[in-house]
Amino acid sequence: MKAYINDTAHSIIKGETILDFVRRVENREAIPTMCQDDRLDNFGSCRVCSVEVAKEKNGSTKTLASCHTPVTEGLYIYHNTDKIKRLRKNIVELVLTDYPTDKLVAPENKAPTEFQKTIAQIGIPTIRYPKGDNHLTIEPDRAHPYIKSDLSQCINCYRCVRACEEIQGEMILNMSGRGFATRIIKGFDTTFDESACVSCGACVQTCPTEALTDKFETKTLIPDKTVQTTCTYCGVGCQLEVAVIDRKIRGIQAPKTAEVNEGHTCLKGRFAFQFYNHPDRLREPMIKKNGTFEVVTWEEAYDFVAKKLLYIKNKYGANAIGGFSSSRATNEENYLMQKMIRVAIGTNNIDGCARVCHAPTAFGMQQSFGTGAATNSIEDLKEADAIFLFGANPLKGHPVTGAKLKQAFMKGVTSIVVDPVKTTLAKLATHFLQIRPGTNVAILNMMAYYIITENLVKQDFIDTYTEMYDDFKNHVLALDMDALSELTGVAKTLVKNAAIAYANANRAMEFHGLGVTEHFQGSKTVMLLSNIAMMTGNVGRKGVGLNPLRGQNNVQGAADMGVQPHQGAGYLDVNDPEIQHYYAKKYRINKMPEKEGLKIPDMLNAAIEGKLKALYIMGEDTIMTDPNTNHSIKAFENLELIVVQELFMTATSKMADVILPASSYFEKNGTFTNGERRVQRVNKVIEPIGNTKPDGQIIIDMMHKLGYTQPTGLTYDAAKIIEEIADVIPFMKGLTWERLGTNGLQWPINADGTDTKTLHVNGAFKKGKGTFHHFDFEESPEIVEHGTNYPFILTTGRELEHYNSGTMTRRTDNQYLLAKDYLEVHPKDAKRKGVTNDDMVKIFSDRGSVTIPVKISKNVKKGVLRTTFHQPEVFINIITGSVGDKETLTPEYKVVAVDFEKI
Amino acid sequence: MANKNIRSLSYRKELDDNLFENITALSKKKVSSKEFHNLAKRFMIDDSVVIGTASFYDFLRPENQEKKVHVCNGTACMVAGTQDQLTEKLSTLVDADKIGHVPCLGHCHKNNAFLYNNHTYSAHSIEALEKIISDTPALENTYYIGSSSTPILTSKIENITEFYTLFESYIKHPEKVIEQLKQSNLRGRGGAGFPFYFKLDAVLKENETQKYIVCNADEGDPGAYSDMYLMEHQAHKVLFGMLIAGKTVGANTGVLYIRGEYPNSIRKIKQAIKQLEDLNLLQHFRFKIIRGQGAYVCGEETALLNSIEGLRPEVRVRPPYPAQYGLFGKPTVLSNVETFANIHWILKHGGAAYAALGNGKSTGTKMVSLDSYFNRPGMYEIEMGTPLKSVIEEYGKGFKSEIKALQIGGPLGGIVPIHKVKDLTLDFESFTNHGFLLGHASIVSIPNHFPIIKFIEHLLEFTADESCGKCYPCRIGSHRGYEMLKKAQNESYKIDRQLFNDLIETLELGSLCALGGGVPLPIKNALQYFEDELKEYFK
Repeated sequence: MKAYINDTAHSIIKGETILDFVRRVENREAIPTMCQDDRLDNFGSCRVCSVEVAKEKNGSTKTLASCHTPVTEGLYIYHNTDKIKRLRKNIVELVLTDYPTDKLVAPENKAPTEFQKTIAQIGIPTIRYPKGDNHLTIEPDRAHPYIKSDLSQCINCYRCVRACEEIQGEMILNMSGRGFATRIIKGFDTTFDESACVSCGACVQTCPTEALTDKFETKTLIPDKTVQTTCTYCGVGCQLEVAVIDRKIRGIQAPKTAEVNEGHTCLKGRFAFQFYNHPDRLREPMIKKNGTFEVVTWEEAYDFVAKKLLYIKNKYGANAIGGFSSSRATNEENYLMQKMIRVAIGTNNIDGCARVCHAPTAFGMQQSFGTGAATNSIEDLKEADAIFLFGANPLKGHPVTGAKLKQAFMKGVTSIVVDPVKTTLAKLATHFLQIRPGTNVAILNMMAYYIITENLVKQDFIDTYTEMYDDFKNHVLALDMDALSELTGVAKTLVKNAAIAYANANRAMEFHGLGVTEHFQGSKTVMLLSNIAMMTGNVGRKGVGLNPLRGQNNVQGAADMGVQPHQGAGYLDVNDPEIQHYYAKKYRINKMPEKEGLKIPDMLNAAIEGKLKALYIMGEDTIMTDPNTNHSIKAFENLELIVVQELFMTATSKMADVILPASSYFEKNGTFTNGERRVQRVNKVIEPIGNTKPDGQIIIDMMHKLGYTQPTGLTYDAAKIIEEIADVIPFMKGLTWERLGTNGLQWPINADGTDTKTLHVNGAFKKGKGTFHHFDFEESPEIVEHGTNYPFILTTGRELEHYNSGTMTRRTDNQYLLAKDYLEVHPKDAKRKGVTNDDMVKIFSDRGSVTIPVKISKNVKKGVLRTTFHQPEVFINIITGSVGDKETLTPEYKVVAVDFEKI
Repeated sequence: MANKNIRSLSYRKELDDNLFENITALSKKKVSSKEFHNLAKRFMIDDSVVIGTASFYDFLRPENQEKKVHVCNGTACMVAGTQDQLTEKLSTLVDADKIGHVPCLGHCHKNNAFLYNNHTYSAHSIEALEKIISDTPALENTYYIGSSSTPILTSKIENITEFYTLFESYIKHPEKVIEQLKQSNLRGRGGAGFPFYFKLDAVLKENETQKYIVCNADEGDPGAYSDMYLMEHQAHKVLFGMLIAGKTVGANTGVLYIRGEYPNSIRKIKQAIKQLEDLNLLQHFRFKIIRGQGAYVCGEETALLNSIEGLRPEVRVRPPYPAQYGLFGKPTVLSNVETFANIHWILKHGGAAYAALGNGKSTGTKMVSLDSYFNRPGMYEIEMGTPLKSVIEEYGKGFKSEIKALQIGGPLGGIVPIHKVKDLTLDFESFTNHGFLLGHASIVSIPNHFPIIKFIEHLLEFTADESCGKCYPCRIGSHRGYEMLKKAQNESYKIDRQLFNDLIETLELGSLCALGGGVPLPIKNALQYFEDELKEYFK
């Protein structure tokens, strides 16, 4: 199939527009546009993309907008005729009658906007029209901390309106009025700040003029350089393009070429970078002397730590030392950290923050499938015809994936949400099961029951690729649905319909978050989710599977690198002598520690018991984020040495004996692995701030002091460490720094560098056969022991504006967007307790109490409370408890027995 | 296609709890922003969607909520010169700031038109006006009704039940319906003249369970009132056409989008639907009336679809066409009132019989509206191909005063100078070949004394007022054109002719829809045929 451009024939691609065709054959500048953005549906408002087309050579022509006209076989396209040039110039002249004359070209210190480039290309005409009505006096809106508007420069291209709806899935922006009077409005014709804007900045990025800008004026910067790197917030793994001027970070844009985020990101990735050089950044090594921190040299600090660690090792043995690694650090750094603990110190007491989030996912999926990682890729969303979202609020926690889910939900894909909280996605979903917190196992047993009794199981798949199904089936069929319905608080028919919807889909794709894992029965829930997927054949194809939404940017990677006490790098069992031998050989030492180490909660208990004497903590605020704060403090107080590598003086840093100031992710190289197993590059944007060092460098230095010389040399070089990782971890054989390119690779990465989008393809489970497990619902000890005295169930989650304990986001303007944690209370409970919005209440549990302001919300059921844990002013973990998932000890943040009263 | 999310969310509540109707109801109640917010929340959309829509329509804008009387400022009333006096008299009865405007009420045959309390009137004596304002009587809009050879649309329906029995012989044979319509060569009567069977065929082929029939009864062209006639006097012809079209393509729902300026048409269609219900003739088909809220552009098919959905009625890009992606994104047969009204006759007498009427590719008859400058104004069903001269002389009985030109086919139709009348026959081809447009075949007479400059200023003002604001040429161009024409009449300013030509060309070539793209035709006619009259305004 061919069509002609200026009488020369070129092949056409089915479905492409004339604009696509001409731009593909020639170049982007071949046809100018104003309202067009590749990421948005074609709109046809500016008309400067018009071309002449004819059915035959030199035939009579029609003028058509190329952006929304499909190219057809044999079409003759003339895109640069005098008539077309005149039309474009005349349109520009009209536009300029309502555009500030001092904004036609960029001033010297700014890069031209897209609009300025376009009009320069078409030719800036002299305006012949007499002065008429205009919008030049519209008041600018500068109320929002990040996003500003000056609509006098608006050219009514609607790109912001469309980006808001089509990219973010919000509808904050719209046009108001009609004809010449049309103008952009926000919400109820208010400011960005007053509107329900989620501050993603998609509108700013697409706006071709400076009608919409951000506080950093990112679009018109003339940077010394831009560096693409991977975002440090959340497991989506957005690629960011960071602009640097004068060795300072000046703005961030989302690159359109990024496969993960396709030119989009959220307010954290785009705007919340100011923490990096905040005055609060720790800039010098410090040793606590007589209760106060004193600045020391790196040498002094290293010597102090090494000496103390070796002393403790000699006196109490290596197992008296433990290490906490960080899911915010790079893979290379996590790899080095576990190596330091295992090799230089000689214990398997290494654990990380996956312990408090997705450890049950890794464990549970390993039991069921053989691999503890997402089976599929986010891009599969386009192929799924049912989406099952369990215990996750990705609009807040994983905003870019959340926006994709919201788009699918709004467009009417079959969607099932299980959550104790009526989230926005729950409201949009086809099926919403609002369960009582902690009854996940019960609801999944119910779903399995109905899939079986409605004859919707894929018996072929089960028979060929799985084992132990009959045990599961018999177990489930013996359950009493009425009792489970009573327990979960969800009507049987609702569960049945949801189960049928899931099982009937050709491709049902599951996503889950910490609402699954942070429970007493967390690992069991993961295994039951695996069962549901296997019994309906929803594993091993595009658009299906189990897809954990990873909490932090590198939870997946930290686990891959061996940050857990029972498995080393690549998930090999450290109890196995052969494996010990394997690691010893790879690490070039004689002997690895022989038995598995302690998990974080066990380490804290061991400290209280006096068995653990030293903790080496890299990038974790254990005191603030782990449950039952007083218990953690007690453990810390019992230690002889606490070493903390940190960016800020956190609650944990304050308890340290030695603080080693670390560099942020902007200041180093490495890789992060996102929730879909995609290893992506972290590229150094600026040199380390102050006297800080990358965590990887600190660990290499430390190991050296401890007597182990890192074979890749004494300088932290991510590319070289990747070589070592590729040599150690079997499923990363083909990993190299170069091969990662700009979009990374999804593991398993084969020796030839090819990667893997889908796991367990065609029933080939990693562990051989997929295994069904079966469980009864068991009430959490938290409720059994404390439910009577503390009748409310508190569950915790995240808000969009903040990230976990807020060490970074609180030190940006995000804090102006949301400065408080709130307690969400059902109106009836609020009435009973005599509280209303913004009243302060004391909320207490068996462990202690905190005060927090109230927000009345129908999004929680009666008897359920919800809050967040971002602000140290509240310190919610003072009241959370020590119950954890039986298998992994992941704390049950999601079920806390509490009561509250007005103060 | 933009707005897929909002469209899909609106579809969840579809027509029974319709977003547009909800926005309408709240706007008219003058409620607090909280209630708009609650509506938005209920539909899971944002406030901006709701008020962005409300701000588009004349009847919904907050600033128009105080208006009690709406005086027609349509073309026919304007050239008749009746409205200034009418407004003056009305302002003795109603506060002047409670008098608003509306572009055409279908009283072009007698003018002095205004809308009050959901009724339309023509009155000029102060006594008559007083009585209307105090009593709001239900007065019929009466005018002469005539026809040429074969009355298809103007024939009387004697018995409704019997009229619908035709349904039985076609219900099981959708292909026969399409075959007859194909033979008839019935072309869309909204103005574009697209073969109608083609739309049915295209929608029939779509593999979707939900499909719609939409009747475009947003007869916004000032000067035209034939759809109004059909709805008020021939409702069952329209409904039958929609019903059989629905059964043919597999659609169980028909939406009539009727402009709010025709309150009586809405009442008449409602009554007719009620009759069908009572007579048990609905065949499980669901009719829904959506009342327009004052926006000419809703006569454009894709803007009309957006309007029903509660979106801003901005013109969509094509493709996709409504047959593939129509109402709520579902396959939709969308055509004009008059098109649907023809179907019964075609199916009863056969497509060939219909094709035998008319002239070449323009078959059948055409409703023609004549304004008050005719000696016998009114509604005429004229066989296609009839000389325009005989329409004027035989049916209209000539003019009351000296006429220099006719605007035929609405505000986007050509301006036919009186000396060209003899060259034209009433059909699509004759008009197009002579540089005019049959359009909806309304005829508005421009008397000798009426300045052409004022007439084209009116056309550009109308376009600027009614532009949806989406595409640049129409949004900015029509407004700048209007500003220049006004300035040239009121100041010493002379319009740069080259600039004006450039503007006209930009509108014609660049506009997204027929509004901005169509208004250049009458302006070019005016520039060509009335150059002497216009040249003083140009340099």
